[in-house]
Amino acid sequence: MTESLILENVVKRFGDVLAVDDVSFRVNAGTICGMIGPNGAGKTTTIRMIMSIIYPDSGRITVLGNTNSEAVKDRLGYLPEEKGLYKKMKTGEILAYFGRLKGMNGREAKARAAELLTRYGLGEWIDKRCETLSKGMGQKVQLLATLIHGPELVILDEPFSGLDPVNRELMRDLILKMKQDGRTVIFSTHVMEQAEQICDYILMINKGKVVLDGTLAKIKSVGDKGILIDYDGDGSFLRNLPGVGRVNDSGKQAELFMLDGADPQKILAALVGKIEVRRFDLRDPSLHEIFIRTVGGQSDE
Amino acid sequence: MNKAFLVALREYMENLRTKAFWIGILAFPVILVLMIVVPILLEKEKDVRHYAVYDKSDFLLDAVESRAALPDLNKVFLWTKEKYDEEDEDFESLPMFLQQSASTLSALSDKAIEEFSSLVARLYGPDGEQVSQLLSQISDEQIDAQFAAFGYEEITVSRIRGMLDGLDEIKSWWQNLPPEEAEIFGSGISKSRYQRIDVDLTGIDPEETLKKMLGDDKIFAYFVIGPDPVGTPASELAGETETESGSGAASDPGECKYVSNNLTDDDLLNWFKRYANAEVSSRRIAAAEIDAVDAKWIQRNVPFESKQISETGEEEEVKAQDELREWAPVAFVYLLWISVFTITQMLLTNTIEEKSNKIMEVLLSSVSPIQLMAGKIAGIAGTGLTMVISWIVFFFVGIKLIPVFMGRAPEIDFALIARDPIYLASFVVYFILGYLLLSAILVGIGSVCNSLKEAQNLMTPVTILLIVPLVAMVPIGKDPNGTIAKVLSYIPPFTPFVMMNRAAGPPSVMEYVITTILLIISIVLALWAAAKVFRIGILLTGKAPKPSEIFKWIRAPVGQIPERKKD
Repeated sequence: MTESLILENVVKRFGDVLAVDDVSFRVNAGTICGMIGPNGAGKTTTIRMIMSIIYPDSGRITVLGNTNSEAVKDRLGYLPEEKGLYKKMKTGEILAYFGRLKGMNGREAKARAAELLTRYGLGEWIDKRCETLSKGMGQKVQLLATLIHGPELVILDEPFSGLDPVNRELMRDLILKMKQDGRTVIFSTHVMEQAEQICDYILMINKGKVVLDGTLAKIKSVGDKGILIDYDGDGSFLRNLPGVGRVNDSGKQAELFMLDGADPQKILAALVGKIEVRRFDLRDPSLHEIFIRTVGGQSDE
Repeated sequence: MNKAFLVALREYMENLRTKAFWIGILAFPVILVLMIVVPILLEKEKDVRHYAVYDKSDFLLDAVESRAALPDLNKVFLWTKEKYDEEDEDFESLPMFLQQSASTLSALSDKAIEEFSSLVARLYGPDGEQVSQLLSQISDEQIDAQFAAFGYEEITVSRIRGMLDGLDEIKSWWQNLPPEEAEIFGSGISKSRYQRIDVDLTGIDPEETLKKMLGDDKIFAYFVIGPDPVGTPASELAGETETESGSGAASDPGECKYVSNNLTDDDLLNWFKRYANAEVSSRRIAAAEIDAVDAKWIQRNVPFESKQISETGEEEEVKAQDELREWAPVAFVYLLWISVFTITQMLLTNTIEEKSNKIMEVLLSSVSPIQLMAGKIAGIAGTGLTMVISWIVFFFVGIKLIPVFMGRAPEIDFALIARDPIYLASFVVYFILGYLLLSAILVGIGSVCNSLKEAQNLMTPVTILLIVPLVAMVPIGKDPNGTIAKVLSYIPPFTPFVMMNRAAGPPSVMEYVITTILLIISIVLALWAAAKVFRIGILLTGKAPKPSEIFKWIRAPVGQIPERKKD
């Protein structure tokens, strides 16, 4: 399997702040890689360096087999966290413009813009100005703009932030579709659940360092198993249950981690009667739990 | 296709859709038309001033009207001559005796026409009857002698034979011509501008009647002329001053009054005063028994002729082209300043908008910051050039069409500008150079600011700097090769404006070459600095950096965001 992206000992400093500290990782072609970490962990800086918007102080980045990423810019698709459109341009025009900036010729870009807009239900907006689009539609157009030239590697910075559930689902489908089309996708998020759902490969970053790195299965298998319960009632006693160590309680759902030698059956028995248990699931720990454990609860989350 | 070109093209197309662009394009012809048409209309539409005169002296009013008729009649005769020579169809509408006089007029010099006008005007005056009788009684030779006595040098009976018999006819035609109809002879005819209303002033209190008319808005103003405006020669008065001082001051027989409710518009007063003064002083000269010829000699001004030394070293007359030089450079500096400023402002707004739209980063994934900056600057330069060139097109069309529509040439001869490439060519070149220098500064400012408000703080020093050429504009226009002008020419931000300002000079070729080289060097340096600021600035969010910080970015090697190290 070839690697779409290789980072080797990449360092980036902003004044006194070490934003990216000796980061190395590889992303295989045709996979979805989730870059997770709290706000300020260095995700965006890393992504900007991959896109050669800024340059690392030291280290090497190889994108699509090329160390000079300027040369491969046209083969990359990028959706920054802060994204916008020219308000006065028509939807079709702006897509075609981005396509042309990525080296497509005018006619090809125009046809492709129309095709994408039609396929994703925005066909009648092609001649409307971007300022008339709703927020969700605008985001869809922005994502289409990153895809219009058929990039081999797509980098999405916080693609799910600010999306409603419908659009979040649409985004997820799009990311999966990209993978089916043979593209490599790297996206960053600070919401672990999203990464957990679709990633082949996880890269966990905290304070500029890679703290965990591997396939989702591998990362998960390392931690202790936990019990996921869905419940109704007052769960405040969960923390004091015998045999239970850490608890991630969200009010209706909780993740319990057993102390060594504890028996899940006994815990279940202790729950029954106090709360109404709707689900009781013995499974690998969530990414959230893994993250908390790894960074020692110091994150901003 | 080059990405910078794509950016430029998009920028250009987008600007084409903005209102500001079209306003900018259309504002110029509107201003041009206004500049040409408004003075003409103003002249035409100047309110007619009705006035009345209470003349206790019994001669001054007649004398003023006679003297005022001279320039009017002169215009009428010149106009007649011109229309006759041009075989204009307006000629047909003239009264028959004027048409008949035309061939005689046509043969006269302008000076002779002026003398003839004066002759007719004289018939108007207090001694009009005498002159008229005199001329009808004496022989041709005697008339010629009389003309010479009047001080006329050019006219003789033989020259104006055709018109001499019609003198009284001309006089009565002019006297009875309705003021509105006098307008056809041109804008400066005083008869149509100042109309005296005849008022019956035989009542007990004539001034009260006039006051009432003024109160009723029937007249704009009235004059009261004292019984003896000429007075007694001062030498004869010398002994009497003391005896008169007791009661005399209140009822000075020479006292005259001008009464109006609008004292700010003193055109009427000045017009009347000019002729009244001339008449009074000529009478005083007569009273002092100074010979008329001597009097003329005393009153003659020192003749200063405006000449200039031509390039070949000869003295030559001041030409219309030179008059143009007084105002054309100033007008062009204004236009240059406005166009450069508007267009660079557009660049600043666009850059900031792109930043606040968050579109910057999307663009940067496709184009490099330098391509983006170059594209933006080029795109807006295209917008500006389109504007400036369409102005020039409007200008050429305008100078062709406006005289057609207005029926007469504009007061200002714009065609001279079109013929002298120093204005239009340097305007376009200095527009481009001035824009490039300023654009480098503004694109840098735009890239570090997140809102126009932030940008205004950084813009203040730039604006102050740019005001200098505007302040210096008039002094430089007056002395295009003076020290201020020369020094300012060598300061690159001022070069385009100051050199444009000096176009009438014109500066030497050497100056053009050196200042342009300096300017181009500073453009390159400014763009280089702007590129460094731009690539850091556009990704910057939060507070705008201080100028000191920006200078640090410029001084730092491209390593502040260093190039990737090659192994």
